[in-house]
Amino acid sequence: MKGLSRALTGIIVFLVCWQILSFFISRVIIPVPSETLGLLGEHLTNPRMLEAALQTAWKVGLALVLVLLLGIIAGLFLGISEAFYEMFRPIIMFIQAVPVVSWLTLVIFAWGVGWRGPVFITFVSLLPTAVLTTVSGMRNLDKDLLEMARVYRVPFNKVFHYIYWGSLLPFIAAIIDVTIGQAWKVVLVSEYLAGGSGLGVEIFNARMVVDSAGAWSVTLMACILGITTERLVKYLLRRMSKRWGPA
Amino acid sequence: MGASIELKGIYKDFAGLRVLENWDLVISPSERIVILGLSGSGKTTFLRLLAGIEAPTRGQLEVNSQKIGFVFQEPRLIPWRTIRQNLLFVNDRANIDALLNSLHLEEFSDYYPSQLSGGMKQRVNLARALAVSPDLLIMDEAFASLDLKVKVDIMNDVMRLWQQHRFTMVSVTHDLKEALYLADRILLISSRPARIIQQFPVDLSEPRIFSSPELLSLEGDLLRLVCQD
Repeated sequence: MKGLSRALTGIIVFLVCWQILSFFISRVIIPVPSETLGLLGEHLTNPRMLEAALQTAWKVGLALVLVLLLGIIAGLFLGISEAFYEMFRPIIMFIQAVPVVSWLTLVIFAWGVGWRGPVFITFVSLLPTAVLTTVSGMRNLDKDLLEMARVYRVPFNKVFHYIYWGSLLPFIAAIIDVTIGQAWKVVLVSEYLAGGSGLGVEIFNARMVVDSAGAWSVTLMACILGITTERLVKYLLRRMSKRWGPA
Repeated sequence: MGASIELKGIYKDFAGLRVLENWDLVISPSERIVILGLSGSGKTTFLRLLAGIEAPTRGQLEVNSQKIGFVFQEPRLIPWRTIRQNLLFVNDRANIDALLNSLHLEEFSDYYPSQLSGGMKQRVNLARALAVSPDLLIMDEAFASLDLKVKVDIMNDVMRLWQQHRFTMVSVTHDLKEALYLADRILLISSRPARIIQQFPVDLSEPRIFSSPELLSLEGDLLRLVCQD
């Protein structure tokens, strides 16, 4: 209860600061909070905006599934073999260093404007995090446990299920934790620049008609969705980790 | 029936460092062997050869065993699995309840390793080794970190289970009393490179008692041998 009242106080302080700033700075740069929040309320009941939110959400979901699936599989292979890791590390570093705008050029030439661009850009932006975190997990495997399994001649599928999966779970949780927040941001940027539909496109449309309140209301909507999914996933991860017993 | 083991001229080197030198040894089925030597002399290396974790550099090693149970020095339990699951990991057809009962662990089957004391974890380590119904039980200083009462209790359990199952037992220690309590034969080994320098038969009646005059007298003899070396 104390935490909630503190959070509410924080929100009120933020709104007051926003209101004060909007008195002194042009509305084009900082819109009035009441107007922005009013628009947000309208968006939440507007079928077009809800459709846009859904469009963004499924792109985030698809990109995250691909990042987790391929990132973890690649991380497992690179974690098993040092030679593989040394061979592929420069490629991962390169992917990590390429800016979003460069990927954008590539996807516009390849697919034009549409859903594939945002999904691809989000995927390549987050893949290195997933791969490198899984490699760290593999390197943290308890060698004594693996040796024990070898002595008892436990089949590999069982070793994977009992030892590898259990050891990697905190690292997979960390990947989800880090990537989920970023995924929303990258999808929005990609939609803004090359998306056919979604909240990013709505921000772009608002910008085109110099509608700052419109752009910020859509941004708030994306923030609410992002924070809600992040909280939900963290809650599910906590429940999942409880199933695996105390550390 | 326990496993039989035969070593002929076994050498083991690690990166040019000789650890075991010219080991010749025959261990009969159901025999209880204890290796006694200083820390770092190569005792654990010998056990790792028996378990197939390491291969000898030179020589002939024959371990006629179907199932090996290994009681590690540290319990090596899977932290995110319950005690029951840890035992099922090595053998999902084992009679876990009977095993837990025989080692006084029945109340703890759904506990996680972090919820157990050191002694309890070591009991689980032993239970896991027995879950595979071993014909060869290897123990690597399994009782070193335990307090006396827990140590004696677990050793009593081991001896009781040996009476029932008659597996071959090979263990290492640097505790003379523990060696005399567990062994039919004690092998004294030199410091590195480890060689067998003396074989010491332990002819004590069963069940053995820690404070019996016979055991204490043998301890004196063994101590003299160790000090001579």
